[in-house]
Amino acid sequence: MSTDDHIKDGEDRNALVAEYVLGLLSSGEHERVGRLIENDQGLRAERDFWVSRFAALNEEYEETPVPGHIYAAIEARAFGDVVKARPTASFWESLMVWRSIAAGALAVAVAAVGFNLMQPASDVSSLTTQLVAALEEEGSAVKFVALYDGSGNVRLTALSGDAVPNKDFELWAIQGGNNPISMGVIPVDQRSAVEISPDVMAGWGEGSVLAITLEEAGGSPDGNPHGPIVAKGAVTKI
Amino acid sequence: MGHCPEVRYTMTMTQTPSQDIADLISRCALRDRAAFRTLYERTSAKLFGVTLRILKDRSEAEEAIQEVYVKIWQRADRYVAGNTSPISWLVAVARNHALDILRARRPVSDDIDVALEIPDAGPSPERATQDNQERAQIEQCLGTLEPDRADAVRGAYLDGYSYEELASRHTVPLNTMRTWLRRSLIKLKDCLSA
Repeated sequence: MSTDDHIKDGEDRNALVAEYVLGLLSSGEHERVGRLIENDQGLRAERDFWVSRFAALNEEYEETPVPGHIYAAIEARAFGDVVKARPTASFWESLMVWRSIAAGALAVAVAAVGFNLMQPASDVSSLTTQLVAALEEEGSAVKFVALYDGSGNVRLTALSGDAVPNKDFELWAIQGGNNPISMGVIPVDQRSAVEISPDVMAGWGEGSVLAITLEEAGGSPDGNPHGPIVAKGAVTKI
Repeated sequence: MGHCPEVRYTMTMTQTPSQDIADLISRCALRDRAAFRTLYERTSAKLFGVTLRILKDRSEAEEAIQEVYVKIWQRADRYVAGNTSPISWLVAVARNHALDILRARRPVSDDIDVALEIPDAGPSPERATQDNQERAQIEQCLGTLEPDRADAVRGAYLDGYSYEELASRHTVPLNTMRTWLRRSLIKLKDCLSA
């Protein structure tokens, strides 16, 4: 096979995404091609094409019951890190960073409502009811910091992200195993304050999760989230 | 699981099993633990079948299935309905995880003949609606390949065989196997797109 290493470029490229989906590339190549695909809509479509076509072979995977004890281990691993850091600790998960951002956000909030900045209220450590959440999501540019200062309002500061035409960002509170509760539509390009409703307040505290989804303009019509999560984060004491 | 205050994500139309799975995945994205358990109960046997077939070792497959469901819980929000069916997405998570385990073990090989750039793929392919139809189509298209090449494609997909493993199973040189596979995939693409 004298031409083995000289496959025509066009052919080579056409097969590359399929080779990626099949898992035939070495780890370095697999990662590199994976990144190319993530950043290119056409390639993502090509990947989805192969995933869905090959999926027709999935029937050949025989259903095999998983031993009963496994689920408890999965729950422990999956739910154990909901509030705590994910395995890959990111910038946002550093409490020091949260503290400084919250202090900054608080100072801004305090200034915005006209309090005297000279008051000790700007000293974060003296406030006992403060909660903060950094809202972000892998693959999403939308980032918010949410700060609860004990007043019954959550103050939101958008750090990045752009408005989406004909869509609105909607804030949700998720507490324990309950269904998410809408906290309303929020602006993406300015600071805002959201009043905590009584049903959110009932379960509000450290461990509550705030999530932002992209919904149709005006927000979800039926009180349930439908759009993708663009940012989320657990509420933590400062 | 106890209480389930009300059914969320209610659709006005009758839900198909596939829609149920999609809803469970959406609810996992919103941290609904009861939905996660239901999703596990309904899909774990299939996904365990995937990790078992690819890893070919029961204890490794049991470890992998745990990691797979942790991933599903963490990445549920990445599922985009419409691109792939929900069960295909779940199988892909399990399959990719098992392949990652295998890949991490393999020696680093050269990738001398991988193209550096990939051109646009053209219009987004539409998702076929009927599973049976899709199955029939890929079988028919695999049928247009020479039998040993179709077997190699199946082995790569279903068992996660590497080029090296496929070459030794089919007793052909490594580069021959690469050529076979790439040409087969191009042929397959033409057939599946027809």
